[in-house]
Amino acid sequence: MGIAAKMLRILLINDTPKKVGRLRAALIEAGFEVIDESGLIIDLPARVEAVRPDVILIDSDSPGRDVMEQVCLVTRDQPRPIVMFTDEQNPDVMRQAIQSGVSAYIVEGIQAQRLKPILDVAMVRFESDQALRAQLSARDQQMAERKRVELAKGMLMQMKNCNEEEAYTLMRRQAMSRQQKLIQVAEQIIAMNDLLGQ
Amino acid sequence: MTDAPPHSRTDSLAWVAGSDAPEKSVINLGFMALTDSASLIVAATQGFAQPYGLTLNLQRQASWATLRDKLISGELDAAQGLYGLLYAVHLGIGGTPPVDMAVLMGLAQNGQSINLSQPLQARGVTSSEALRAHVHQSGAKLTFAQTFPTGTHAMWLNYWLASQGIHPLEDVNSVVVPPSQMVAHLQAGRIDGFCAGEPWGAQAIGEQQGFTLATSQSIWPNHPEKVLGCTRAFVEEYPNTARALVMAVLEASRFIDESEENKRSSAQLICGSDYVDAPLNSLLPRFLGQYEDGNGHAWLDQQPLRFFGNGEVNMPYLSDGLWFMTQFRRWGLLRSDPDYLAVAQQVQQLELYRQAASQLGIAIPATAMRSSTLIDGKLWDGSDPAGYARSFALHALSDARQTLVSR
Repeated sequence: MGIAAKMLRILLINDTPKKVGRLRAALIEAGFEVIDESGLIIDLPARVEAVRPDVILIDSDSPGRDVMEQVCLVTRDQPRPIVMFTDEQNPDVMRQAIQSGVSAYIVEGIQAQRLKPILDVAMVRFESDQALRAQLSARDQQMAERKRVELAKGMLMQMKNCNEEEAYTLMRRQAMSRQQKLIQVAEQIIAMNDLLGQ
Repeated sequence: MTDAPPHSRTDSLAWVAGSDAPEKSVINLGFMALTDSASLIVAATQGFAQPYGLTLNLQRQASWATLRDKLISGELDAAQGLYGLLYAVHLGIGGTPPVDMAVLMGLAQNGQSINLSQPLQARGVTSSEALRAHVHQSGAKLTFAQTFPTGTHAMWLNYWLASQGIHPLEDVNSVVVPPSQMVAHLQAGRIDGFCAGEPWGAQAIGEQQGFTLATSQSIWPNHPEKVLGCTRAFVEEYPNTARALVMAVLEASRFIDESEENKRSSAQLICGSDYVDAPLNSLLPRFLGQYEDGNGHAWLDQQPLRFFGNGEVNMPYLSDGLWFMTQFRRWGLLRSDPDYLAVAQQVQQLELYRQAASQLGIAIPATAMRSSTLIDGKLWDGSDPAGYARSFALHALSDARQTLVSR
């Protein structure tokens, strides 16, 4: 196989604030040929054709990923069709890649094990800014929020002498025009109610 | 179920505490920075999901491709979707292997636009006739941008150009540009026009970089636009969660369309930096149907962006799903006829939608097909998708042509 014999050529697309300098250095150190490009959008299909990379790495948070989709479609009838890398033998690889914020496209036919060292390096070097979501407490918080919204709604119904639906609509309009969540306006109503006595 | 609230409202919501309680109480919900994500943002922030025992975690995505990957990997449970994107994944078109997908409901109709550059305007290319003449006479091909190769904007652009006698894959170049970068590309002279959702058309006009030549509703009045999508595996594993999610989003959709005041405050909410992150003055007018084309015409649109329309917007019509497959076929993205109806029946979650809508007393259309007349005068009623796909004078049917598009 021609592809197996030669060194893999990597196109590293550099179009988000994440710094890819260390990634490039690490890939070169690991023995890969790396071409680093920035500022590509509509030129991306032409660059891919000119550079003929075996692997393309792009930040998962790059809007340019949708342009890569066009590359996949345009190349699907060509001798080197480019596809998104998804390891069907090992679905965890894709999940890990997504979580670490790197997306890889490959020339169809390159074996997964040849890509592993590239992805390993990329996943470590692409700094992931994924905030850990506190999902465990979400249910308790949801209960608490619902109670507070109900409380505020009742107060507003009394204050405005209106029905339940009208009270909800008033609270929501207020929240939306201030770019707030409903719970924030509910808290304001409760605070105001406390202030004004009762 | 432990997820059930300690006390729930009676009557229609009694099921929340019973065996229909959501299996999963926190939903990671993906969306893109577009005006037509409004119902998801309103549902998540304005308390529409809590009564169903759900918390909606909104997660803005930078690209459709990443939104898709996260849906498939399970990092997102459900998301705003492009019809074409979900069907492309389901059918295995594009760079990914096929995964069974589901359309839970429609999120919006209308409200996209085709815009041309200021230099074309200065040369008097301000009508479809002038554009056709320019395309067929001038030497250099014009370059038009859309937002995703199998997406709705690519399909509107292709359909509109073809209806004006311009072959979208032969007479012009078609490129992908992320929506938020359209105006900059127009300004830099890298593209001559684009098709995208709002507020990007209005913004091009606001920055005097272009004008609107056609709205998507002029191509197909009340056309399907964004949908709420997820994997089929998600619906099968969490059917009650999926139904509760549809109910919450349906209620938010109804709320937005209920009054002009609600629309205004929805627009104020979504223009925030956490959501669409665009100035209110470029987002609000077209949200209210007030159009100004940047070429001296202003009108109140009869088919503006809408989120509810008494449930007409939200019904996942089979004919809507079928239409996108016919266009994939027409433009060579599908190399052979799929089993159109069977695929649409798998993807469109009609039964789940009907359950959700009936719980809320929202009218459910009697049939799963609807009939529309598009800009070229052709009737689309879903009855003969294979015939419809072959019925166009301009096309790129793969058995009629050797290759697909290339720039």
